[in-house]
Amino acid sequence: MTYVIVEPCIGVKDKGCIEVCPMDCIHGTDDDKMVYINPEDCIDCGGCIPACPVGAIFAEGEVPEKWQRFTQVNADYFNGKR
Amino acid sequence: MLAAKQRNPRSYRIVGPQRQIDERETPHPRVDRGELGERLRSWRNTRAGQDPFRRIFGVGGGDPKNCLQLIMRQLPEGAVNPDRTAVSDPAGMARNIKEVARFLGADVVGITHLDQAYVYSHRARDKAAMGQKAGDPIHLPYRYAICMGFASDYYKFLTNNSRISDADYGLGNNHMIAPTFMLAAYIREMGYPARAHDYARGEVNPIPLAVNAGLGELGRHGMLIHEEYGSRIHLSVVTTDLPLAVDEPVDIGVTEVCKYCMKCARTCPSYSIPFGGKEVYNGVEKYRINVDTCYKYRLAGRGQWTNCVICVSSCCYNKPKAWWHTLAVWSIKRTPIPLRPLLIKPLLWIDDLFWGKRPWRHMKWLDYDNAPVPVTCDIPGCQVKHRDLQHKQLHRPTQAAGGSVS
Repeated sequence: MTYVIVEPCIGVKDKGCIEVCPMDCIHGTDDDKMVYINPEDCIDCGGCIPACPVGAIFAEGEVPEKWQRFTQVNADYFNGKR
Repeated sequence: MLAAKQRNPRSYRIVGPQRQIDERETPHPRVDRGELGERLRSWRNTRAGQDPFRRIFGVGGGDPKNCLQLIMRQLPEGAVNPDRTAVSDPAGMARNIKEVARFLGADVVGITHLDQAYVYSHRARDKAAMGQKAGDPIHLPYRYAICMGFASDYYKFLTNNSRISDADYGLGNNHMIAPTFMLAAYIREMGYPARAHDYARGEVNPIPLAVNAGLGELGRHGMLIHEEYGSRIHLSVVTTDLPLAVDEPVDIGVTEVCKYCMKCARTCPSYSIPFGGKEVYNGVEKYRINVDTCYKYRLAGRGQWTNCVICVSSCCYNKPKAWWHTLAVWSIKRTPIPLRPLLIKPLLWIDDLFWGKRPWRHMKWLDYDNAPVPVTCDIPGCQVKHRDLQHKQLHRPTQAAGGSVS
């Protein structure tokens, strides 16, 4: 399992989650609209959830239906980068 | 129900039937089977042992014959001497056994009844020398458990997490093997069956037995807390039928201190230690840690460390031997329970002031240096600022672990 960042992060990019992630598995560039969790490195600790001011982080199995595609969006971001 | 014969300690409470735990359900065997992910299994067998100074402690891919604990795991245990020494005074024999245990190297020792709830139901590893195979049921019908504690170096643990704290942690695991083997051998030579349970071989969970034997209390972080050494203590057990007087559980104030301190929960990088109250698991009311995230956090070592000992180091009972620490614990013990918070809260404030909210010390030892290293991101193009552990935020009680608890 992993945690997933979804739509509310777009345009916000608070990055508070990056400060608390023990695995440093949240990444992005200045040009990206949001930041992404690397599912291979995430250890499911959930420390990022309360750090997100817009409630944009969910456990993989609890992502609301309307944002389900973001599970793949997060994973795809790291394709070719690992 | 498997019931203990002693009174319940204060730091955990039996509230229902307990089942024996299968050793194959414990973290190392689960990781070896890949149940916590192939990446972690692979790390444990290879990258964890990149440093030769780790491999001699049995970590990651070295020659098993270069590792004391792996050699000792395969040694057979000797026969019981048929010429049995009569024991007319179990209390005197208990004093004898404790003195021998200290002579052999134990820092602390206590004796309790062997509660079968804390004996594993099945073994996780083969032991050819004793004709034992993984999956065999464990039969350990002994009456007593002699619990020993071996303290680690305070200052080396303060380098958490580093190759220096790794080395001292590994040494502690190995230190216990010879004294535990020798104490069991001594008892067998007196004509009584005895089995050694140490880092090389173990068929019991030593923590609840050590709590019952009065070595300390169960902390929020799931480990034994000793009044002098805190949790930087490695536990081993000898189970036997030698007639012995047993000790009683102690009250060193852990119940009240853990309620207010939460330093381990604030500093645990992987949010594996709860801020909340106790939960019931397997018939026991206690603080319940997330062992999966705790173990997986080892992948964050980036070749700089293998074993996380941050909760051990941050525990406010973890102090060097000093009169003021003895006085503080003595004061808590002597204070009536309802009044303890009045004493504990200022003590915790002093602890944060003088020892820091995240206890840590810079040290150079051998070729190792635990100075914080800037995080090098391995994702091409990533521009976010990753901070090293010493510059990450401490957790707050509102930040609860989100992972499933094991």
